[in-house]
Amino acid sequence: MPKLALFLILIHFLPFLCTSFSPENPSSRRVLVLLDDLALKSSHSVYFKSLQSRGFELDFKLADDPKIGLQRYGQYLYDGLILFCPTTERFGGSIDLAAILDFVDSGHDLIIAADNNASDLIREIATECGVDFDEDPAAMVIDHTSYAVSETEGDHTLIASDDFIKSNVLLGSEKIEAPVLFQGIGHSLSPANSLVLKVLSASPSAYSANPKSKLSSPPSLTGSAISLVSILQARNNARILISGSLVMFSNRFFRSGVQKAGTPTKHEKSGNEQFLTELSKWVFHERGHLKAVNIQHHKDGEADEPSMYRINDDLVYSVEIYEWSGRSWEPYVADDVQVQFYMMSPYVLKNLSTDKKGRYFTAFKVPDVYGVFQFKVEYQRLGYTSLSLSKQIPVRPYRHNEYERFIPAAYPYYGAAFSMMAGFFIFTAVHLYNK
Amino acid sequence: MARNLVGFLVLVLAISICEAASIFQPISESHRSAALELFTPTDGSFGSLEETYEALRTFGILGIQKKPHIGTGSCQSVSETLGSSSSTTKDLFFALKVNSILECKIDEAIFQEITSRLKAVVNDGNSLLDFYYSISSLALIKDQNSKVDVLLGDADGIFRSIKALSQSDGRWRYSSSNPESSTYAAGLALEALAGVMSLASSEIDHSLIDTLKNDIVKLFDSIEKYDDGSFYFDEKLVDAREHHGPLSTTSAVIRGLTAFASLTSGTITLSGNKILGLAKFFLGIGIPGNSKDFFNQIDSLACLESNRISVPLILSLPATVLSLTKKDQLKVKVNTVLGSSAPPLTVKLMQAFISGSKDSSVIESQELGFDPENAVHILDVLPKSVDVGNYIFVFEIVLHDSVDKKIYTTGGQTQVPLFVTGVVKIDNAEIAVLDSDLGSIETQKKIDLAGETSVSLSANHLQKLRLSFQLTTPRGKFFKPHQVFLKLRHETEVEHIFVVGNSGKQFEIILDFLGLVEKFFYLSGRYDIQLTVGDAVMENSILRAVGHVELDLPEAPEKAPRPPARPVDPYSRYGPKAEITHIFRAPEKRPPKELSLAFLGLTLLPFVGFFIGLLRIGVNLKNFPTLAVPATFAILFHLGIAAVILLYVLFWLKWDLFTTLKTLGFLGAFLMFVGHRTLSHLASTSAKLKST
Amino acid sequence: MAKSTSKDAQALFHSLRSAYASTPTNLKIIDLYVGFAVFTALIQVVYMAVVGSFPFNSFLSGLLSCIGTAVLAVCLRIQVNKENKEFKDLAPERAFADFVLCNLVLHLVIMNFLG
Repeated sequence: MPKLALFLILIHFLPFLCTSFSPENPSSRRVLVLLDDLALKSSHSVYFKSLQSRGFELDFKLADDPKIGLQRYGQYLYDGLILFCPTTERFGGSIDLAAILDFVDSGHDLIIAADNNASDLIREIATECGVDFDEDPAAMVIDHTSYAVSETEGDHTLIASDDFIKSNVLLGSEKIEAPVLFQGIGHSLSPANSLVLKVLSASPSAYSANPKSKLSSPPSLTGSAISLVSILQARNNARILISGSLVMFSNRFFRSGVQKAGTPTKHEKSGNEQFLTELSKWVFHERGHLKAVNIQHHKDGEADEPSMYRINDDLVYSVEIYEWSGRSWEPYVADDVQVQFYMMSPYVLKNLSTDKKGRYFTAFKVPDVYGVFQFKVEYQRLGYTSLSLSKQIPVRPYRHNEYERFIPAAYPYYGAAFSMMAGFFIFTAVHLYNK
Repeated sequence: MARNLVGFLVLVLAISICEAASIFQPISESHRSAALELFTPTDGSFGSLEETYEALRTFGILGIQKKPHIGTGSCQSVSETLGSSSSTTKDLFFALKVNSILECKIDEAIFQEITSRLKAVVNDGNSLLDFYYSISSLALIKDQNSKVDVLLGDADGIFRSIKALSQSDGRWRYSSSNPESSTYAAGLALEALAGVMSLASSEIDHSLIDTLKNDIVKLFDSIEKYDDGSFYFDEKLVDAREHHGPLSTTSAVIRGLTAFASLTSGTITLSGNKILGLAKFFLGIGIPGNSKDFFNQIDSLACLESNRISVPLILSLPATVLSLTKKDQLKVKVNTVLGSSAPPLTVKLMQAFISGSKDSSVIESQELGFDPENAVHILDVLPKSVDVGNYIFVFEIVLHDSVDKKIYTTGGQTQVPLFVTGVVKIDNAEIAVLDSDLGSIETQKKIDLAGETSVSLSANHLQKLRLSFQLTTPRGKFFKPHQVFLKLRHETEVEHIFVVGNSGKQFEIILDFLGLVEKFFYLSGRYDIQLTVGDAVMENSILRAVGHVELDLPEAPEKAPRPPARPVDPYSRYGPKAEITHIFRAPEKRPPKELSLAFLGLTLLPFVGFFIGLLRIGVNLKNFPTLAVPATFAILFHLGIAAVILLYVLFWLKWDLFTTLKTLGFLGAFLMFVGHRTLSHLASTSAKLKST
Repeated sequence: MAKSTSKDAQALFHSLRSAYASTPTNLKIIDLYVGFAVFTALIQVVYMAVVGSFPFNSFLSGLLSCIGTAVLAVCLRIQVNKENKEFKDLAPERAFADFVLCNLVLHLVIMNFLG
C-alpha cells in the first residue's frame, strides 16, 4: 500500500519533472549534447562550462549511443539539444531527423554545429531549418582579405569575421570588440524562409570553395551572402542556432588571440567566447523571451471590462509585458509596442506608452464602424519571441435612443410638426361647430 | 569509438594541417596558464588526494612556481589517510604520491603499519589493481622512508602471479576470473612489475624479464596510427568495467613502459618512430579542457622526456607562413617534448617541393645555421628558386654526438607545409567594350587595380565587355591565384559572378552580352563591376570596385525567367508599423442657430395665417350642443383630442413608445366613446334640421 | 391682344372669386387648413434647400406631417362636400371621425419619426 501511494505521488510529479520549456517558468534546463567523440567534452569545455555555470544540466552522449532518446513515455526528457556531431551519419537510439524536428516543433531549442565533411544527416537537419550548407563536402569558407593573421595557418580558411547582426537582444548589450574566428563551411539562407537570420556574415571577398582544387566555375556561395552563423526563431518560439564551424566553439579558438588581416590591432582574445556565450543565452531563452499578462481594456473613466463597445466610445487598453532574464521576469521596456483595433484590417494602430515598469497602455476612440473587432498586439521584433495577443470584442452602433435629439437645426421641422398638431386641434373644433 | 576519434582528430588536429605532413609544437607557455586555470583549488584544497596529486605533479613538471598554496591542508589529509586503518590501497597510493611531492612529516610507525598491511595485500592479492596499488605504494614508501623494510622476499613469485594475468597479445586481464583483456591494464601491470623489480630483495629471473620485453613488443604491435604520424593505444573493449579513452590508455602504457625501462638493464627494441609518434599524439591534443586529460598529457610527456628507450625530439617551426616581401627567415626549433633544449645537432633542409606536385625539389639540400642565443636554426634567405606558393619542406635532424643517437629519436625526415607569401604585381589592367561582329574596340579604358578607379561604360546587348590584366610574382613569374572573380551587380542587387580565366600570361574575360541576356534576366540598367583577386600566398589580395557599366538589354519576352526574390532585410521586417488612426465620418454641417430660429418663426407663420384666415372667414361655434349632456361629451371629446396630442408631445419629449401606446389605448377607447356620442348627437341634430 | 388677355384673366379671376364666395364656410375652412399645411411644407422645403438635409428624419417627418395633413383634409373635403354626389350616403360626421382617427395615427407616426 505505501508503495502504491509513492507511485501515485511519483505519477503526480512526473509532469513537473520532465516539463519542457514552459513560458511561465522557463527555468528547467536539461540539455542533451550529442558528440562525435567524448574528447570534444574536454576540447570544448569552456563553452560547456559556461552553460553549466548558468544552471544548465548537460547530458553528454555519443551521437551513435544506442540508448539515447529525446522522449520517454511521450514526455520530452530535455529542453534543449546541442548537436556537436558533424560527421554523424545516423543517430543512435530513437533519434532521427523526424524526432529532432518534432523536438523543435514542440518548442525546444537546438544548436547545430557543422563542419567540412558534415554528414548528410546534419545537412538535412539544417535544410529543414531553412539553411543550406555548401553542397561540396570539401568546400570551406575562404577569405583572402579578412582572414585571421596567423603564423602557422596560411590557407586563409581561418576567418576573422566581425560582420555581426545589429541586435542587442541576440548579442548582448556589450559590443563585441574582437573579431570572431571561424573555420568551416558556409551556408546560405533559404529565401523561402523568412524566420532565419544571419548573425555572422562573411565579408564581401569571401567565397566557399575547396582550397586545394582549382576553381573552374563560380562558387555557389560568395560574398556577404554567405552566412557563417545563423539563427532561427520558429513561430512557436523554439530557437535554433546553426554554425558552419564546430571548432569555433573550441577552447583553442576561445583562448586564441586574433588579428584581422589588414588591421593593425591585435586582440588578446578572440570574440568567440563572448559571441557564442551571448548567443547561447539567447538560444536558451535567457534573453528576449517575452510574456504578456494582464491584458485589460475598458471605457475611459470606468474600471470594468465591458462585454461590448459602442461606436465612438473612448476606451483604454493596457497590457503588461515582461522579459525573462534567466532567473526572473523583469519589466520589458521598449517604445515600439503597438496595438491594433482590427476587423479584417486594422482600423486603429497605435503605439503604446509605457510606464517603464512593464505596463503598456493607450487610449483611443472606437471607430464609427460596428462589427466584431479584435484588440491585437502583434509584437515581432528581431530576436524577441513574438507576442501575438488577440481579444475579440463586438462594437455596436448607437441604439435608437442614443442618437442626438433636439437639434437646433431641426427646430423648423419640430415647429412645423407641432403647428400641424395645433392646427388639427383647432380645425376639429372649428369644423365641427361652425354654423 | 575509434572511428569517431579519427573523425574528431581530423577535425581538431588537422585543421591546421592541410597537407599530409604536419608539425607539432612542444609544450609552451599556454599550457602553463591553462594548468593554472584547470587546477584551481576550492577553499584551499582539491577535491581528493588524487586530484591534489595530479595538480602538484602537473605544476612540478611544468615548473610552475606560482602554484596555489595547498601544502598544509593537503598534508593533513595525507596523514589522516595514512593513519586511518579503513583507507583502501588506492587511497594510500594517492596519499603517498602526494606525500612524495609535498614531503609531509609522517611518523615512521605509520609507515611500518602501512607496509605490513600492503605486504599482506601483495602476498594474497589476485586482482591486478590490488597488485598495482599496493606495490606502487610500497615503492613510494621505499623512496620516502629508507628505514622501513619494504623489500619483498618472494619477488619472483609475485612477478609470476602478475605475469599470469597477461595475454598472448601483450595485454592484461584485471583478474584471473575476468577473461577480458585490456590495454590500460597492461600499462598498470608494467608499472606494477617495475615496482616489484625495484622492491625485489634479490635479482629477478632474467627469463621473466625477457618474456616481459616480448610482451611489450607484442603490445606495441597493436598500436594505432593516425595519418599525421602520431601513434596511440586504444581500448578495443568498449564494455570494460571502467572504460578508458585513448588518452588515458596511452598514458597508462607509457607510464608502465618508462617505469619498466628505467629498471631493466637491457634494451627494449622499440622503433623510435613509435615513441615519437606517441609524443606527437599527446602534443597533437593541444590543451585539453579537463584536468584529468591535462594531467595525463603532461605526465606522459614527462615520462617520455626522460625515458630510457629513446627520447623524442620535436622539430617545430614558429612560423609556417613566410613572407618574401618582408624577407622572413626560415626558423626551425628542435626541442624535447616539454620544450627543453636538445643536444647539439644540425637541421638539414633536404628538399622543398610545391605541394601537390611531388616530382622535383626546387632547392638543393642545405644545412641551417644555428643561432645559439635563441636556440633556433635559421635559413637566412630563402633561395631564389622559392617563389610565392605552397611548399612542403623536408627537414632532417642530424645529431652531432653519436652517443646521443642512441638516446634520442628524431623520426628521420620531417615534412612541413609552408606558405611563402609575397606581393603580386598587377599590370596592364584594361577594360573595354567591343563591337560584337567586327571585334573593333568601341571604348577602352586603363584601370589601376592597386588604387581607386571608377570607370563608367555603356554597352548594349550586341556588344562585349573585355577585362584583362596580368599578375606577376615577386620573382617575376606569372601568378595564378585561386580566386579571380568578376562580379556584376545590378541595381536590384541581382549578382552575377564569373571566374576570370587565363590564357598564357594574360588574365582575360570577355562577356558577350548577347549570350548573357537570359542569364541577366533582361534587366537593363546600371551594373557595378567588382573584381576580386585573392590567394592564400598573395599578400595584396584585392576586392576592388572597378566602376560600372550601363547595359541596354532588350525587353523581356513573356516567358523569360524572373530574377530571384531578394532576401528580406531583417531590420525592416521587424520594425514597428506606421500608426493608423481611424478617420471618423465628418459631422454634418450645422446651420447657424439664428437661421434655424428664424425658420422656426417662418414655419409658425402659416399657423398664424390659418388663425387669421379663420377669423376673416368669420367662423363661429354656434353649432356647439346646447344641451348639457351632449355639451359635456363634446367638451370631453375635444379634451380627449387635446390629451392625445399632449401625450404625443410627452412621447416626443421623454416617453418611450410602449408607455405611450398603453396610455394611447386608454385614451383612444375613451375618445372613441365620447367621439361616437358627440358625433352621433351632431348627426342627429343635422338630420333633424334637414327633416324640418 | 395682350390687354384683352389680362382683361380676360381678370374676368376669369373675378368669376372664380365670386363663384368661390358661394362655397360653404365649412369647405372654406378646410381649404384654409389645406393652404396652411401646404405653406408650412413649402417653408420647410425652402429651409432644407438652404441648410441641407441633415436631420433628414426630422425633415421628412415635418414635411410628411404637413403633406399628410393636407391630403387628409382634402379627403375630408371631398367627403363632406354636398355637391359631391359620390359620398352622399356617407354622413359628414362619419367622414370627420375617419379624419380624426387618421390624423391621430399620422401624428403618432410623425412624433415617433421626428427624432
